[in-house]
Amino acid sequence: MARVADPHAMAPAKAGPTRTAPPRMPPEFPLQGRYRAYTLFDATGAVYLLLGLLALRLVWALGSGDAAWRSAMESLGNPLYLLFHALAFASVLFVGVRFFRLFPKAQPPKIGPLRPPPQPVIHALLYAAWLAVSALMIAILAGGIFG
Amino acid sequence: MKQLLLRLEPLIWLLFGQGILIGTILLTGWVLVVGLLAPLGLVSDGALAFERAHRLAAHPIGRLVLLAIVALPLWKGAHHLRSLAIDFGGGHRDAAVATLLYAIATVGSLLGLVAVARL
Repeated sequence: MARVADPHAMAPAKAGPTRTAPPRMPPEFPLQGRYRAYTLFDATGAVYLLLGLLALRLVWALGSGDAAWRSAMESLGNPLYLLFHALAFASVLFVGVRFFRLFPKAQPPKIGPLRPPPQPVIHALLYAAWLAVSALMIAILAGGIFG
Repeated sequence: MKQLLLRLEPLIWLLFGQGILIGTILLTGWVLVVGLLAPLGLVSDGALAFERAHRLAAHPIGRLVLLAIVALPLWKGAHHLRSLAIDFGGGHRDAAVATLLYAIATVGSLLGLVAVARL
């Protein structure tokens, strides 16, 4: 049985003349059917928030000197960090694949006088940028270039 | 607070959208190398040694990339967690949840600015 949704969800700023039934959550929510991917996409927010905070810790350590950097990097070898980063890597791939599929569909038919490129072209460009930047980041961080 | 959040919505959505787009593009290589390959000993010893890491990070482009890696995921995370909280029946406490999450993202972003400035 679908539960009642928040009564103010999707409510207009001013009540209209047409009376409508209270909104209800779809019966598939949160983890059935197409709602599974929807809910998981939102849940990756927790992973991204932690990734941002972890990156802040690393950059802060880098600015604090050799010992702080070394200690921060050594802590990443903890199994819990490794497990988190494995989950984070899967989350980032999931977000990329889902968002890059949605992004071309969300484009307006016209931007000023210009029409956006066809959807498959936008999709391909996003993947090209993703692959190119990732390859560059991996090459730099792993010491392949700018040694 | 609800009115302020509505007024800030375009800015929040901009940062959230860039968190998904640019954040995801940058985080893929970052998480793979810094979070997995380096701790597992699968990259050369000197690759993330302090001198090299600091030299790369202190470059203007390095600072910009690191700021994006710190700040943008925070906004993506904050906005999606807010959305998740609403979907799970927390609409009545949205103002408090949103304020807390965006405060974390704001403070984290400002600390990110300080962190890249002190490199």
